Order: sequence, then structure tokens, then C-alpha cells
Amino acid sequence: MVALAVILSDLLFGIMLGCVFAVVAHGLNLIWGVVKVVNIAHGEFIMLGAYGAYFLNVFGGFNPLLSAVVDGALGIFVGYAFYFSFLHRELRGKERITQRSEMVTLVSTFGLSLFMSNLAVVAFTGDFVGINWSPGTVALGFLELPLGALYVTILAVLIISTSVVFLDRTYIGNAIKAYSQDITATQLVGANPTKVASLATALGFSITMAGGALLTVWIPTGINPYMGALYAPISFVIVVLGGPGKMLGSLLGGLTLGVVIDVLQAFVPVSLAYAVAFLLLIPVLLFRPEGIVK
Amino acid sequence: MLKRRVGITTKTTAIIVAAIILVVAGGTSAYYLTLPTKPPPGGTVKVGFSISLTGNFNVEGAASLNGMKTATQWLNSNGGIIVNGKSYNITLDYTDDASQTSNIVPLYTKLVQQDNAQFLLAPYSSGLTAAAAPIAEQFGTIMLSHGGSADSIWKQGYKNVFEVLSPASTYLRVAIDWLKANHPSDKLAVIYAGDSFSTTAALAAINYSKAQGFQVVYQSSYPTTVNDVTPQLTAAKSAGADDLLGGGHFNDGLLLAKQLAQVGWTPKFISLLVAVTEPTFQQQLGTAANLVTGPSQWEHTVAYTSDQAKSLGLDWFGPTVAQFTQLYQQVSGGKTPTYHSGEAAGTIFVLAKAIQSANSFDTTSVKQVLSSLNFMSFFGQFQVDQTGKQTAHSMVLVQWQNGVLKVVYPTTVAETQPQYPYGA
Amino acid sequence: MRIAGLGVTFFGLLALMLLLLILPFAFPFSTSVIVINLLFYTALAYSINFITGMTGYVSFGHVVFLGIGAYALGASADVYGLDPVLGVLLGAALGLVFALMIGLVTLRFRGVYFAISTVVIALAALNIVLELPQLGGSQGIILNLGFQPYSWYYTIWGIVLFEMLITYYINRGKLGLGIRAIKSDEDAARSVGVNVSALKLYLFGLSGLFAGAGGAVFAWTTSGVFPYETFSLNFSLQMLAMIIIGGVGTALGPILGAVVVYLPSYYFLTVAIGTQLIIIGFAVVVIALFIPEGIVGTLKRRSASLRELLE
Repeated sequence: MVALAVILSDLLFGIMLGCVFAVVAHGLNLIWGVVKVVNIAHGEFIMLGAYGAYFLNVFGGFNPLLSAVVDGALGIFVGYAFYFSFLHRELRGKERITQRSEMVTLVSTFGLSLFMSNLAVVAFTGDFVGINWSPGTVALGFLELPLGALYVTILAVLIISTSVVFLDRTYIGNAIKAYSQDITATQLVGANPTKVASLATALGFSITMAGGALLTVWIPTGINPYMGALYAPISFVIVVLGGPGKMLGSLLGGLTLGVVIDVLQAFVPVSLAYAVAFLLLIPVLLFRPEGIVK
Repeated sequence: MLKRRVGITTKTTAIIVAAIILVVAGGTSAYYLTLPTKPPPGGTVKVGFSISLTGNFNVEGAASLNGMKTATQWLNSNGGIIVNGKSYNITLDYTDDASQTSNIVPLYTKLVQQDNAQFLLAPYSSGLTAAAAPIAEQFGTIMLSHGGSADSIWKQGYKNVFEVLSPASTYLRVAIDWLKANHPSDKLAVIYAGDSFSTTAALAAINYSKAQGFQVVYQSSYPTTVNDVTPQLTAAKSAGADDLLGGGHFNDGLLLAKQLAQVGWTPKFISLLVAVTEPTFQQQLGTAANLVTGPSQWEHTVAYTSDQAKSLGLDWFGPTVAQFTQLYQQVSGGKTPTYHSGEAAGTIFVLAKAIQSANSFDTTSVKQVLSSLNFMSFFGQFQVDQTGKQTAHSMVLVQWQNGVLKVVYPTTVAETQPQYPYGA
Repeated sequence: MRIAGLGVTFFGLLALMLLLLILPFAFPFSTSVIVINLLFYTALAYSINFITGMTGYVSFGHVVFLGIGAYALGASADVYGLDPVLGVLLGAALGLVFALMIGLVTLRFRGVYFAISTVVIALAALNIVLELPQLGGSQGIILNLGFQPYSWYYTIWGIVLFEMLITYYINRGKLGLGIRAIKSDEDAARSVGVNVSALKLYLFGLSGLFAGAGGAVFAWTTSGVFPYETFSLNFSLQMLAMIIIGGVGTALGPILGAVVVYLPSYYFLTVAIGTQLIIIGFAVVVIALFIPEGIVGTLKRRSASLRELLE
């Protein structure tokens, strides 16, 4: 018999966790949806964002929320660098990405992921580190919720809704949307496809690295060179669940995953909860390849 | 027609050339790679092992290696090992194993066959030790284990493998013993990482505490890739648990202790595996670390002395705890020995003591001595059962008290009393 | 398959395998055990070559079959005392069965979707095994099958030989035509009447079978099966790196890649600690972006005489 209080608490924690997952996956979603490229090294850029937050905390006394802003700014540069070294050759002057280019980006970003995580072991050592930042808890009836996680949840929702507004309401946003539907259409609205694609990639990286910083609030000790190996697959599942390119899909996918993982733990062992969460991807791909919601 | 014949001749030549190059290259490289190293100069005994300097176990591996180096240096500068009135120095022959089981078989075969190591030390961790054991067995070389604590290694019938540290199943007993004596009606929650060592330790603790009359109101394990245990802590709290036992490796202990604050649970007593003994545990947690306890194989503050050995009727061998700690700091560049250093160093003293008692380097005689040896060193007591499993070395309970890690139980080696409850 | 059609690469590989056949008698165990590991990685590389190399379907989660094979041998030897050689056969059989079951579903997904579905299956498999007490759960299985260098050696040698022959059989035969058509354009291949689904499933089954056999040998040589070590995604990544570096889809590429990737990483244990995966990662990036055909493919492109000799 599982107490109702436990399930309720798991549900609330699952929602908060889901929002963090959502923002961590959101950058991948943007790039996947617009440029049609899956960055296998996505997890390593989350790791980079997390270490960014860690070092800003150690040397500058920044809290992770502030670091997310710095990481986000850095992410723009990283994203442009990534676009021009990994994607530009494959996308330049093409009307749609070819099967061959898809393979090239898949394999090259896989190499990048190996390179980055193992370089990180040399640069940062393999030790697990964490940030000591705890703004306390807030009582909610019989539950106590950590304030830090609550702030992150709010920020995550804010980032995702801003991106929706940005894509819908601004000229650049519209150009990005046009690119995602049809590259030639981008030229029709008077934008340079390379500029649009690289900007979308840069924004994606900015969100990814900021997400890495926000994640550190949730995982008090989990910053390590191989952390990408967990958060990259989680991000893949979230994006597929929500549907690549659907901005609110990140939130939907993240919440689904967070709630499934946390609430299932009240009934089955933790490992199985994660196994179910991972395997959710298969039926969705089989029956709803466009994401859970049409 | 003509062209085709030429083509065939070219092909045949190419095959022959390629084959010759392959044979020559393969042969020469194999020759050089398998060339036995020079036999050790007279007056030394060669001890071979691989150690994890990279990969998952790099932290534990580095501490273990420093422990072995310290022990060797102490022995060599204090008369070496005496056999037949002659003094022998120990030389260590080691390489990195990258914490990967697939490297163990080539490395240990090389140690025995090529490097002519006379004695072996096991690698760090149970998985790697299990991979090395058949080689020790095959070549009839003694292997001492300092970091492989899975109980099942000693159920395989190995004749040459001896354990120096306490088995995993005994880790949390010392905390339960103290609770039994002082707070026998506490309800327990056991939350542990799903790796081999932590699972063995936690499941044994659950059985032991039930046998001691405790009620275990919540138990759960989680995969080590997971960095969030709030659901389990919430469930344990709502199940009415008083005390929290479990953990895993360093990261797990830190995670549990940190997330306790997130879910607003303050257990009365906390005992976590491995993490607590690390100085960084206290640095990272600050006040939340205060009064957290944990089991330890050994601490540099533990009070094993020659007087204690004498009162038990045992021999004392090697340096005092203070001497070892001081020399370790020199060898490691200012570090404080952890229990991994202690158990690895303890292994060298067990080997030296056994050779000296056997008065011979002969494997059979040393093995005979090892199976009946009972003595004490700075690391504590050594005695194995007929399977090679350690039975006499005891774990100690440590607790952070106002920023200082203190040995608090058992009373015979304790510096001070444990404080209860946590969070007071 | 016409004998006359067999080229230098075939006879070269055959000569190499024959040389390797006598190696354990010519050299001490300490050499044989390194070659056993090398052959183990070679077997893995050929295994993933069947699916990823030949069709372009990137199987990031290929370690799942290695894990299944390892547990097949571990559990059968531990519980029923089954002979390890039979354990290897069991591992191969289970690898095949699981590959067919998984492939039936995942091979419907194209490109990145297939790649990602294999990753999540591998992760889910680890998490499920952790909760299976019959397989030792998180404690794994410790075995004592002894130090058996000859049995290890000839088992893995046989596996590699089989893989080479089958690779040749496929590349040279009618099957190869259809498979190459799938790789260059799956829809076009389907429209000209190639049975795309059956061919992909056949190749995936083969790759699962050999990965399972390889995994069983891994458990046998390391005297144990431990969930995190066995299902480590690192194995998937290494296999993939080997065929990318060596040359995808070729008969020579996998063994070349295994030599280039494994031997340095073994000798680096004493020299450049911790750097080998950085170098391998960098090599994969450079090769993927600039010479996607790998070593063998590039040599063939660069030199007319080699084009004929290398396969």
C-alpha cells in the first residue's frame, strides 16, 4: 500500500523534474526541428553548461540561475562555431538534408561526444562535483518543496514560452519557422538560409548550455564528464515524445518523462521506472511519429 | 591474355610480399613484446599488480597505489623482509588497467609470465579481482586482495587468493551494533546505490538488522546513473523511518545527505557507505555533514597499537598508525591516507609478515602461513578462514563532529562517543 | 561465388588467420591473451559492420547484444554448470533471437530514429537486468571457469573467421547488390523489387548473433558478468569507431580498425594514460567530416592499383 502523500509528493517533484528535463532537451528540439540534424554530442554540451555553472560558482560565487545567463551567452558562440565546423559543409546550398548528410552529422557528432567527454576527464578529473546553493524550502501543506528547484521550474517554463513567442511573433522567428518547413521558402521571405540555420543552431546551443546550468540545481552532486550519457538519451526521448520542432513539445515530453519516472517509483524499483521511461520512445515512434499530440 | 597473366603475377607477388611483411612485423613485435624482463637483482622480491589510475576507479586506485608505495618504502628502509638471515627489499611492478575488466587477463598474465612477479596483489574492485583470480590460480601465484570485497569471490574455491580487508557484507554491521546497544527501537530505512558493492553491503545490513530485532520500514536501490533520490527519501520519511542507512560510493553519500534537506527529512541517525570518510564530504556539505556516520575499513585516527595486539596475544608488525600516516604524506605529496590507502598498504605488510614467518619465498610455505596467520598491523587484525576470506579485521564507525572526523565505535579503538540524534 | 573472383584481400586475410592459428604454440600465453582481446574487438567490429557498415543504419546500442551473450554464458555456467563453449553458442543464439525481435520493430525507423531507438533499448536493458535477481541483479555473476587461453583463443578465432567469410559471401554475392542498393537509396531499392525489410532483418540478425557470441567470450575471459561493465555504451562506441576508422562495409575495414583502435589503447595503459579515447574521438570527427570512407575506402579512392586489391 503506497501512501497517497507519497504519490502526491512524487507527482509534484516529477512535474518539477519534468520542467528541468524539458529545458535541457529544448535546445536539441530547436536544432532538430529547424536544421533537421540530431546532435549526438548534445549531452556533452549539457555537461559543458553544468561545468560552466560549477566554475562560475567556485571562482565567481555565482548561483546557478545567474550562471545560466552567462552559459546562455557563451552558448551562442559555441553554437555558431558548431554550425560552421560541423553542419555548414553538409547544408550549404541544399534544399533539403540528404540521407548521406544525415549520416555524416550523426557520426561526426558521435566522435565529438567521445572527444569532449574524455577531454573533460583530463581537464576536470572524473570526480563528481556539485554546487552548494540551497535557498531553502517552502512548506506546502504537508509537503516541503525545495525553493531552488521551484525557481528552476519557473525559469524553464519561461524559457520555453519565450521561444514560442519569439518564433511566432518576430521577423527572425518567422524566418526560422519558414526554414524548418522549406529551405527555399526562407529565400522567398528575403532571408539568407545560412544565416537563419546558424542562428537557430546558436540559439539551440544557448538554451542547451543554460539548461545544463539549471540542471545543477536539481542534481546536487551529479556534475561529471560522463553526465551526458544520461541526459542525451533523456533529451532524445523527450523530443520524440513532443515531436521535433514543436516548441511546446519539449514541455509536454519533459513533463511526461518526469512524472512517469517519479510516480512509477512509488510502485516499482527505480531502475524499472527509468526503463519504462526510455522505452516509451518505441510505441510513440511506431504509432505517433509526429509526437504524442498532433 | 598477356595482360591478364601479368595481372596474376602482380597479385601473387603482392600476396607473397604482404605475407612476408606480416610475418616479419608480427614476429619481431611479438618477440620484443614478450621478451621476459631481467630477473630481479638479488636481494629483492617482486610484487606485481595492476591498479586503476584512469576510468571509474581512478580516485580509489591512486590512493591505493600511494598506500602500497608508502608501505614498501617503510619496509625497505626498516630492514626489509628477513629470510634465512638475509634482508630482501620489495619492488613494485605495476601498470594502469583503466578500470576495465578486459585489460586484466593480459596484464596479469604478463606480470606472471614476462615480468616474473613472485607475488601478486589484486586490482581494485570486485569485478577486476574476479577476472584476475583464475590467473593467480593457474600459475600458482599468491594474490592478496585489497579492494575486492564481494563475498562471492571466496565461494569459488580459489586456493591462492587471500582477502586482507573486511568483506562488503560486514560494512554496515558496526552501525547496527551501536544502534542495537543504544537505540534498539529505531525504525530503519535502507536506500542504496545499485552497484555490486553497495548492494551486497546493504542487503547484508537489512538481514543483520532484522536479526537484531530492528524493523526495516523502507528499502530501495537506485541505478548509479541516477542523480535524484527525492522519491525514495520522501517514501522513507512517510514510512516513519527514524534512521537512514545505505549510500554507495562517494557521489551517492553526498547525494543522499544533500537531498535530505530538499525533502525536509531529518533522520535521527545516518550511516552512509564510503562517502563519509572522505574529507571533501564535509567540505561540500558543511553543517549538513555534522553527525553523519559511516563505516570505515581504517582511518588514520584509529587506535590500533602494539599494546592492544599484546593484550590479544597477537604479534604486531610494521609501523604505528602515526608513522604510516606521516610517511604517506611524504610519499603522496601532502595527502592524508584514506581507507583505500590503508587497506592497500595493509596488504603489503600481510605479505611481508607471511614471507618472514615462512622464512621462505616458496609459494606453498607462504600459503600455509597465510592460512593460519593471525597478527595485527596499523591496519588492524588479519586472519582468514579456509576459503581465504577475511574474518578478523573489523570495521570501525566514524562520525563528523564539528568539522572533525572521529572514530566513535567500537569502544576499544574509539576516540570519542557517538552523538545522537543527527541535526541536533 | 567464383573462386577466381577472390582477390588479394581475401587471401591476405586468410593467410593472416592461418598465421594466427599457430600463434598460441609459437608464443607464450602473455602474447596469446593480447591477441584474444584483439580478436574480441575484431569480432565486435565485424558484427556491427553487418548492419551499420553495410546498410548505413547506425546501431548505437549494439552493446545490448554483447550483454545478452555475456549473461547467457554467465547464467548458464553459473546455474547449470554448462560448458562455456556451449555457453558461447547459447549467447549467439540468444543474440540472434533478440536481434530479430528488436529489429522487427526498430528497423522500421529510418536514420536518426533507428539510432536513438537502439540507444534507449540498450539503456533500458541495463536497467531491467539490475532488477533481475536471477541474473545476479546489480551484484552481477562471478564465475570461475579457470584460465583457459587455448579454448578462449580458438573460440574467438573461429568467430572472427566465420564473420570474415560471411562478410565476403555477402559483399561478393547477389545479396550484396541489394544491400548496396539499400545503402544508397532505400526507397529506390524497394521500388526496383529488393526485399528491403527482409534483407535488413537478416543483417541485423547476423550482427546480433556475432555480438552475442563475442559477449559470451567476454564473460568467459573475464570470469564474471557485471551489469554496468557489460552494458557499457563504451563498447558500442568503440565498435562503431573501429569500423568508421577502418572503413565501413568493407571486409578489411573492421580488422584494420580493431588493430588501430585496440592495440594502441592497450599499450597506452603504460604511456599516455587516459588520452586514447580523446584521440579516437578526434579521429572519428575528422574521418566522418572529411574522409567518410575510412582508411580502406580512402586508399581505394586514392590509388588505382589498390582499388583492385582492397575490399
